Amino acid sequence: MTDVTTSSVSVPPGLAIAQALPDLMMPVKVRRGVVGFLRNNPTVAIGGALLAILVLIGIFAPYLGTVDPTAIAPAKRMRPPSELYWFGTDALGRDVYSRVLYGTRVSLTVGLSVAWLATLVGLAIGLVSGFVRWADGVIMRVMDGLMSIPPILLAIALMALTRGSVGNVIMAITVAEIPRVSRLVRGVVLSLREQPYVDAAIACGTRTPMIILRHILPNTLAPMLVQATYVCASAMIVEAILSFIGAGTPPTIPSWGNIMAEGRALWQVKPYIVFFPAAFLSVTVLAVNLVGDGLRDALDPRMAKNI
Amino acid sequence: MDRRTVLKGLAGAGSLAVMGGLPMPAISQGAAARTLRFVPQADLANFDPIWGTQYVVRNASAMVWDQLYGVDDKLQPQRQMVESEEVSSDGLTWTFKLRSGLKFHDGEPVLAKDCVASLTRWSNRDPMGIMLKGIQNELTAVDDKTFKWVLKQPYPKMKLALGKNNSPVAFIMPERIAKTDPFKQISEYIGSGPMKFARNEWVPGAKAVFEKFADYVPRQDKGSWLAGGKQMLVDRIEWVIIPDPATAAAALQNGEIDWWENPLPDLVPVLKKNRNIGVDIADPLGNIGSFRMNHTHPPFDNVKVRRAVLTALNQEDYMRALVGDDTSLWKPLPGFFTPNTPLYTEEGGDILKMRNIDAAKKLLAESGYANEPVSCIVAQDQTITKAQGDVTADLLKRIGMNVDFVATDWGTVGARRAQKTPHNQGGWEMFHTWHAGADCINPAVYPAIRANGDKAWFGWPNSPGVEKEVTAWFEAKSLDEEKAAVARLNKAACEDVIYAPTGFFLSYTAWRKNVSGIVKGPLPFFWGVSKTA
Amino acid sequence: MASYVLRRILVTIPVMAIVALFVFSLLYIAPGDPAAVIAGDQASPADVERIRQSLGLDQPFLVQFGGWLWRILHFDLGTSIFTNLPVTSMIAQRIEPTLSLMLLTLVMTLVVAVPLGVVAAWKAGSWIDRAIMAFAVSAFSLPVFVVGYVLAYVFALQLEWLPVQGYTPFSEGIWPWLQSLILPSIALGCVYIALIARITRASMLEVLQQDYIRTGRAKGLGQRDILFVHALKNAAVPIVTVIGIGVALLIGGAVVTESVFAIPGVGRLTVDAILRRDYPVIQGIVLMFSFLYTLVNLLVDLTYTLIDPRIRY
Repeated sequence: MTDVTTSSVSVPPGLAIAQALPDLMMPVKVRRGVVGFLRNNPTVAIGGALLAILVLIGIFAPYLGTVDPTAIAPAKRMRPPSELYWFGTDALGRDVYSRVLYGTRVSLTVGLSVAWLATLVGLAIGLVSGFVRWADGVIMRVMDGLMSIPPILLAIALMALTRGSVGNVIMAITVAEIPRVSRLVRGVVLSLREQPYVDAAIACGTRTPMIILRHILPNTLAPMLVQATYVCASAMIVEAILSFIGAGTPPTIPSWGNIMAEGRALWQVKPYIVFFPAAFLSVTVLAVNLVGDGLRDALDPRMAKNI
Repeated sequence: MDRRTVLKGLAGAGSLAVMGGLPMPAISQGAAARTLRFVPQADLANFDPIWGTQYVVRNASAMVWDQLYGVDDKLQPQRQMVESEEVSSDGLTWTFKLRSGLKFHDGEPVLAKDCVASLTRWSNRDPMGIMLKGIQNELTAVDDKTFKWVLKQPYPKMKLALGKNNSPVAFIMPERIAKTDPFKQISEYIGSGPMKFARNEWVPGAKAVFEKFADYVPRQDKGSWLAGGKQMLVDRIEWVIIPDPATAAAALQNGEIDWWENPLPDLVPVLKKNRNIGVDIADPLGNIGSFRMNHTHPPFDNVKVRRAVLTALNQEDYMRALVGDDTSLWKPLPGFFTPNTPLYTEEGGDILKMRNIDAAKKLLAESGYANEPVSCIVAQDQTITKAQGDVTADLLKRIGMNVDFVATDWGTVGARRAQKTPHNQGGWEMFHTWHAGADCINPAVYPAIRANGDKAWFGWPNSPGVEKEVTAWFEAKSLDEEKAAVARLNKAACEDVIYAPTGFFLSYTAWRKNVSGIVKGPLPFFWGVSKTA
Repeated sequence: MASYVLRRILVTIPVMAIVALFVFSLLYIAPGDPAAVIAGDQASPADVERIRQSLGLDQPFLVQFGGWLWRILHFDLGTSIFTNLPVTSMIAQRIEPTLSLMLLTLVMTLVVAVPLGVVAAWKAGSWIDRAIMAFAVSAFSLPVFVVGYVLAYVFALQLEWLPVQGYTPFSEGIWPWLQSLILPSIALGCVYIALIARITRASMLEVLQQDYIRTGRAKGLGQRDILFVHALKNAAVPIVTVIGIGVALLIGGAVVTESVFAIPGVGRLTVDAILRRDYPVIQGIVLMFSFLYTLVNLLVDLTYTLIDPRIRY
């Protein structure tokens, strides 16, 4: 005969309570807080840690055994990596180690600024486009137009208009990235707009700005965050390509793209000039991509379907 | 339409496309040996030697067009298309008689009227030509093979003007082409030189092809630079444009190209190590690096400021940055004229030997420099200007000037340097360039040394001292008089700082060992060059 | 269906018009004066002005734009400032290498990336999956030119299996043509492969969780059938979307790859033209690329109907 579990509920006569099954499932450890989140999502943890290290390198570059990255010393040019010059010197005698570390600042600044700006502007445009129907057609046509120009060509063309400077590079890449972000936001807004709770809010008489703020915006944040990381990674690579072609940051400012561009002719004889910034760039972009992937998996697994 | 049918159709079309290309037989060994693949110093984007002054246009044009005279390796003009010339006793009438058998690539014979039209067009753009045009009475054809040039005053350097290798070169074109406006590009590339230009195979930015002209009649004398017989020993020359030096080096090592005009000095060691590659100095006349200051407004309108910069300038820094650590490739240049030429002088050039930052700072303070910004426009797409620009920015900072480094491209530099205004109105204070040594051998071919204010080259230096000696050189009647004039010119140029020479440097050229006949010279000479398989 | 195609083409026109306006005004307000560059070092300001007039650069914006648009519609993309050749012929001369490179990269990517993604999804969570995804993320982070240089050094210079640079036209034989494009395609395709592999995996994962897959397995269908016949076809829509969007990546990457491998294509022409401020060439190329890209996306939309019968327009 089965055991009867004790229960505070009085059992009506004639009924039997089933035997409690043995608890075969492992107790689920609920991890809370930021640390818990990181342990649950190792990709975010790894990527975030790498990124944090690089940010620290960028901030504390002057204290990490570097010299003035723009000081030329033609008498000491093209020395291979040694105790004195950890990453060697380039064609003008500048210390590659210092240039790479200072270059971290530029690349991170470009990446993060573009991500931030493109997200903000794209968000604004997407929200307006999703909500204001008559503007939607016009805005989306303009965005389509911009999107049909391959982003690198667009960035090069914009840079050709102005002088090379970090600010102009940021502007040029941002303009190239905005259409995609606004498309994404618009898509989210369009799907959310049909949700019953939005209908209910409208029915209650909530004004449109309030609807956007209260209901739409919080739901766009997750995909926006993920998209922002991809924009950041893409911006860093585009900056490197722009500098490689000669249309990027000015040569007085060491950026990874610049260092690689100046060393490209010599990769056969002095590969370290291209290797070190390339390695740093790859690791940084990798870190950002890992953070993006991890966030995407954590925040909304269904995001995997969208790009 | 049924989905399956469409998919099947697409698959079918795809496989057809793959099978469509029938493999052609590979070029035979013999044919390959008659084709020379050459990587030029820059892209051949346009092809009018009178309209465009780029070196690469001049180099290509030397194959397609011919000159009346040509300089030899002693820089003396010798007859080329001309069989004989006569100068009247008062020196005012020059009569030229053409060789027989000269033909253009379209089969037409070369006539005197073609020469007249070509020289008319040339004399609108070339400095010596402009001088000739200024003193010209008439330039006419006498008969099919003879033409005369009647002047108002003697011009002893006529043969040099017609035979020089400095751009724009006095090439002879058919009359109908030469009638094109000198400020517009020609659209037909027909000449009477030893190679024809394969127009239909030209891909600007990627490739230019030249084919041997079977009806070319070379002179019987031995070839030397632009003089003598131009014997073509290959049938076809392909100019392959490879902008990335690393790729060009790899292509030379792999045997995918035969001759690289201008290898990067830092890559030369790896090329030298390769058993199949020969490397040598390209041109004994070398190059002179320079930066020019804008004399029309502050701060460089003050000669003391200019002298301060020159005092601090260390030519070794510039030269190392440009050509690397090989000291056989560069020489300090305390003057403005090419070393190892008859008119070379170091007179007055001590200021370029000083290399004294402190003295410079003192001089700058004395000049009353009020921290005016110096906008320095530097072309990043030319290795020479880019390297120089970096060194200059550092130099100016160290003597305490307010530098505004403008990184841009050669095209923009070309446009901006023509503006006389200060930088905040689209102008400039300083830009970098360089000159082929062949262009700095005497005042006639050297627009950059002239100091006649508004009419001078960019920077518009104004130095009566220099101009006086230029006139003296033109009027000199012997080599000694020329040398004396040039020495005084050099001194005046150093005192007034016409521009800042950053040093004299040589460049290499590299070729596969199965190519022979390459000679040193101010441009790559393709006659006499042959290739074994 | 025909009406859908017509509608899509009509929608393309305003998009292209916006691109045209954008491109034209961009370069109209650009600094740098091609007339001065053309006139050359020795020219006087009067000469420069004469050239500017002959190029039509002194007329007001709308007049220039109108004239330009009119010529575009007659397939006359103008004449290059620097080479004096018609832009259409300059592009026509160099389109074959670029299209070959892009097509080969596309084919190679699909052949490599889709199976990778499918395998990763099938073995989700295992070390194969992690390895493939690690490779994908790394490949996504490498700059194109570094990959290009390394490939050229190893395979062309050291092993001498393939040429370092240049392009052999298709008409000279299919094997030489392939040889000249293998290294550039791999360099260009790295990022694209990573992208497609990830999207394939994500899309397949979603599909593999569906009920009908379980039914198929229960029915006893082989793994290959399930993966390729049932799952992949249903996962295809997002994959094809990304292929379309990724063409922009290819165009952008082609610019760099052509520089590294000295391929005489349109990408290099673009960079040269932009750095020289050769306006007509820049305008022509950007228009052409935009048109190409729009065309590709139209094809992608039409492909949906083939892949997924539920999508009907």
